[in-house]
Amino acid sequence: MTRTRGWQIGLIAFGIALLGIGVVVLFQEVNPKRYIGILTWLVAALIIHDGIIAPAVFAVSLLSRRLSTRVPAVVIAIVQGALVVGGVVTLIVVPEILKKSIGTLSSSILPQNYLLNLFLFYGALVAVTVAIAVGYYRRFARRANVRPSLDHD
Amino acid sequence: MQRLMYAFRQALLAPSRNTRMAVVVGRLLGSAFIICFLTGIYSHFIQDPIPGMVFLTRPIWLYQVSQGIHITAGILCFPLIFAKLYTVFPRLFQTPPITSFANFLERASITLFVSSSLVEIVIGLLNTFQWYALFAFPFRQTHFTLSFIIIGSLAIHIACKLKLITRYWTKKASYDEQGEVLPTGEPEPVVAHLPLPDVGIGYTSRIFAWIDKTPQPKQPRVSRRAFLTTIAATGATVVALTAGQSFRFLDFANIFAPRKNNVGPDTLPVNRTAHAAKVLESAMDPDWKLTVTAGSTTRSFSRKQLEAMTQYEVALPIACVEGWSQMAKWKGPRLKEVMREVGASDGSGVRAISLEKGSSYAKTEMEPEFAHDDLTLVALELNGEVLDIDHGYPARMIAPARPGVLQTKWLSSLEAI
Repeated sequence: MTRTRGWQIGLIAFGIALLGIGVVVLFQEVNPKRYIGILTWLVAALIIHDGIIAPAVFAVSLLSRRLSTRVPAVVIAIVQGALVVGGVVTLIVVPEILKKSIGTLSSSILPQNYLLNLFLFYGALVAVTVAIAVGYYRRFARRANVRPSLDHD
Repeated sequence: MQRLMYAFRQALLAPSRNTRMAVVVGRLLGSAFIICFLTGIYSHFIQDPIPGMVFLTRPIWLYQVSQGIHITAGILCFPLIFAKLYTVFPRLFQTPPITSFANFLERASITLFVSSSLVEIVIGLLNTFQWYALFAFPFRQTHFTLSFIIIGSLAIHIACKLKLITRYWTKKASYDEQGEVLPTGEPEPVVAHLPLPDVGIGYTSRIFAWIDKTPQPKQPRVSRRAFLTTIAATGATVVALTAGQSFRFLDFANIFAPRKNNVGPDTLPVNRTAHAAKVLESAMDPDWKLTVTAGSTTRSFSRKQLEAMTQYEVALPIACVEGWSQMAKWKGPRLKEVMREVGASDGSGVRAISLEKGSSYAKTEMEPEFAHDDLTLVALELNGEVLDIDHGYPARMIAPARPGVLQTKWLSSLEAI
């Protein structure tokens, strides 16, 4: 038996043992009536990621790639990066905004103005993105001395 | 169908979607998962110990930092898991979908791994601002169950991919001089030579034809570097703008965390208010007394009597499993000195019972190492003021390196156990 094989067997045994603990904990701690709720969440998570988020990301990256004949790849990459930063922050902050509008049991929970902060954040993100993109664009334009092209680095 | 799956897979190919990237991001995500698991297990057992377990009472910030790391690493998992799934997304359209029984088991375990991980971090995030109404299940038990499923699936996933992980562990072994990914050395699946769907038949074909005409990024190095920079920037952003609730030096940048330092009565956040705990009347009762019992000896202490005992001032953090924490100054008699008044032995633990109603934390137990610590007080004052009712007036527990939920507020009685 090779060393890799040994590790693989060890890891699989460890993994199965932990899955077993997970199942025992589920049986002991969670009322069976709630299993369907957990299952619904597990399936919904896959549908939301694989069916909505991932295709949306793909569509945006395709559209931006189509621009790549006119705009340097680095600038496209910077804008894509900013969209990802903004997108992930939005996913994390929007539930806070919604919950705050519903109300919390203590005024210390969600005490900030998340909607205002999110828009301030978007403003800062746009400003930083434009500054970096313009900086790169100029550098490329200078270096290429012609219309910036993908094939020059 | 097979051709469609293949076409999807081809269309999704991108320079940053390769095995080396999956290894790079996977290492980070795996580490974050393990950190979350260990810090989570620590918090679980300190709240629900197996008999005989002993916990560290120093450093006083042990629990505070462990849970700050738990929540911060959990938030960091969002960009990391999206990045990881991005690198492997074309594999979702593997053709044929199942190649063998072993492959079926592997794909099933990955499906469970991915969905459990997504659910775990989402419910963890929602729990930090107590949006329980969305859950069709009990949060704590489900979060605990899924943690084993995730780490178990992670171990199996690493085992299945071990050859690829070691093959692409270093950058040098992964790319050629032109920056192209080196082959795995394993035979490519035969289906890779299937033709793309014909152009001109239906919308699907037209869409694929359009995608096909879309230029591929010509500089794979730029594309990959941009991908890694994007992950780093997203991770740094979400951490910087939220971790201030756990780590004071980032408080200035905390614009998105569900808690903010210095916001709350006596400049300290409150999780459970007196109103929510239904103690507004009982806690303000002028005849309130703390009943202290050891064996057959019972004594009652009014607040005045507790104030007449030797008072100690300690600086201890209030630290929540939800990640937020803040240092505060507490004043009151030592718990062990109160317990000695009824003859409790130094080796005994303490059961604290609160006036609050309808909470599983109305009765908590403290191990001897906490009960006999010099820093553990029956606190009567907070930050130089009489305890606010939301902070547990007339008296509450405060001990080092313990979860906030066990720092029982609105004390009603103490028993040596």
